[in-house]
Amino acid sequence: MEGSPRLGSKGLIRKHEFVRIIIQCLLSIGYEKSASCLELESGISCKSDDFQMLESQISSGNWDGCVDTLNTISDLTDDTRAAALFLVFKQCLLESLKCGDDKLALAILQKEVSTLHVDRGKVHKLARSILSSKEMEQSKIDDIAVCELRKKLLQELEKLLPPPITLPENRLEHLVETAVLSQIDSCMYHNLSDAVSLYADHFCGRDQIPTETVQILTEHKNEVWFVQFSNNGEYLASSSSDCTAIIWKVLEDSRVALQHTLRSHQKPVSFLAWSPDDSKLLTCGNVEVVKLWDVETGTCKHTFGDLGFIVSSCAWFPDSKRLVCGSSDPEKGIYMWDCDGNELKAWRGMRMPKILDLAVTPDGENLISIFSDKEIRILNVGTNAERVVSEDDSITSLSISGDSKFFIVNLNSQEIHMWDVAGEWEKPLKFTGHKQSKYVIRSCFGGLNSTFIASGSENSQVYIWNRRNSKPIEVLRGHSMTVKCVSWNHKRPQMLASASDDHTIRIWGSSRPNKIQPQELS
Amino acid sequence: MDVDPRHFNQVAINDNDIHNIVLSYLVHNCYKETVESFVASTGTKQPADCIEDMEKRKRIFQCAVEGNAQKAIELTEELAPDLVEKNKDLHFDLLSLHFVELVCAKKCTEALEFAQNKLTPFGKVEKYVTKLEDFMALLAYKEPEKSPMFHLLSFEYRQQVADSLNRAVLEHSNLPNYSAMERLIQQTTVVRQCMSEDNAKNGNPPFSLNDFLRS
Repeated sequence: MEGSPRLGSKGLIRKHEFVRIIIQCLLSIGYEKSASCLELESGISCKSDDFQMLESQISSGNWDGCVDTLNTISDLTDDTRAAALFLVFKQCLLESLKCGDDKLALAILQKEVSTLHVDRGKVHKLARSILSSKEMEQSKIDDIAVCELRKKLLQELEKLLPPPITLPENRLEHLVETAVLSQIDSCMYHNLSDAVSLYADHFCGRDQIPTETVQILTEHKNEVWFVQFSNNGEYLASSSSDCTAIIWKVLEDSRVALQHTLRSHQKPVSFLAWSPDDSKLLTCGNVEVVKLWDVETGTCKHTFGDLGFIVSSCAWFPDSKRLVCGSSDPEKGIYMWDCDGNELKAWRGMRMPKILDLAVTPDGENLISIFSDKEIRILNVGTNAERVVSEDDSITSLSISGDSKFFIVNLNSQEIHMWDVAGEWEKPLKFTGHKQSKYVIRSCFGGLNSTFIASGSENSQVYIWNRRNSKPIEVLRGHSMTVKCVSWNHKRPQMLASASDDHTIRIWGSSRPNKIQPQELS
Repeated sequence: MDVDPRHFNQVAINDNDIHNIVLSYLVHNCYKETVESFVASTGTKQPADCIEDMEKRKRIFQCAVEGNAQKAIELTEELAPDLVEKNKDLHFDLLSLHFVELVCAKKCTEALEFAQNKLTPFGKVEKYVTKLEDFMALLAYKEPEKSPMFHLLSFEYRQQVADSLNRAVLEHSNLPNYSAMERLIQQTTVVRQCMSEDNAKNGNPPFSLNDFLRS
């Protein structure tokens, strides 16, 4: 409509279109009286003239009129027109059959339908359905059934025909949601999945992510090298150079309490892995063995490896029955064991370099390992297909996102690189700001939809990034020595734990904690 | 396998064998007069009811090839009762011939009725559903011979159906449903192909029956 008044500060919105989608919205919410009121007051109707014509022609069975209308609507592609005519002829044909008029039905099929430019398969299926339609018909003409079918035809036409003849479903809600999503996209601290208010442009503050120390755990007697929350978010495990590991219980108020101290290693415990069902915990001694613990009782169930096989890291498969261990000895390779110590599979041999770190994607499809400092090998467990990503600097650790699609590696060049498991990215996303040059520093994904990355650092601080930005959005101060490892609680997006050489573990929370509702996060 | 194909020169052949092979071909395809003539010339023995059996089968075959499915079914019932009913695939093919006849005669409403009565019972089994759809598609065209399904109206198709009917009838009478000639040609082709694959490295071309017959 030329000359239709414009709305909005930039004059981009046509008033009659805006009113029309408001009417559609009122109708879909259930306010029919308001909708017809608005139609009267504005003189704009939700249904276009063409569509109203079609509606009355179809409900009265005026097929010729219907075909004429469809043929005279401008702005239709030939394909759409043909598809619409096909639907109308199909209904007409089936109604003739119901009346017992086989001759007419066949005539429609041969004269009208066959000549339409639609896929032959559709025509043949229609011919076939003539047979089944006759089978089902008891020759009584059911008025109600016919009415129903005509309504269905109208619905199908509504979906098929383009605007402005019809409107896409729920158009106003869709536009508003698009605006909200775009605001969420640029929100750096967005961390909770609640509904977003329409009254103000969405903007989260720092209080959405963990920034304050909530608790300091001092039970370890020496440097704490590793922390990790369990998959269900109800426990925290930590390991230390004091040769022990500790299992903590997460409490209602997002603090933790000591549950079990696991003593058995003779050497510092450098690595931990929770089984996917959280019933078991693996601990790796430094240049020592791997032990399997039962979480509920805190007792050691099995020991893997020996002086000849030095395990550097381990990971579980989704069934919580199989685990893989990588060795830091060249030529020792990677072994897959079951919980009783039986060897299931091995990748070993002359050319197996030392494995620095390894992990299994939560969906169990890929085994990712860090070889000889600078190579990342992604092995598809099912197909045995392998892909190698090379880095220019030494890698110290690996962490995989909850949705199995991405992983991050910490490099000695003080960068964290994020790659996709599928291998479509040519370059990684890079995150900087922290300090790392001598030690193994670990990072992790966290928060709503794994939007955030957290990492330890050699300057005793914890760094937090939003994946969309390479510079940190938050730096957490509190520890007095290098922070080696961090872990973000999968079910509580505002709970973060950090492990430091200063012998402590810190639990971090938001400055304005929301009501704790365990959430499904990836 | 380094066998010289020309070793066949040294295989001895019995005249009787050749006569039997030719006869089996003629009998299978119901060439009554030729059979009588051949028997007279070579003195080969033939079972008594062979000629009569051939006559009957010939009539059945011709009805089917002309598209007169109903007559074909009738005659088959006389010669081999229950055969058609027991052989679902064959039954469907024959009924579909009749359907096609009606469509060609532009008797579309009759064809529709026939399909509804006789063909829909088959629609319950998966493998007939696609076939049924192909045949029903013919109804959608004023000129079926110009439709994508035109092959269903062809002479080749009718011949194919007639052929399977013939084989079924032979089987029913405990006669072989293939002629010795057919089998021999098939076997020879396979053997030659195998051998030429083995010799492919010598640059020999793959086996072609046509070329062989002309050489």
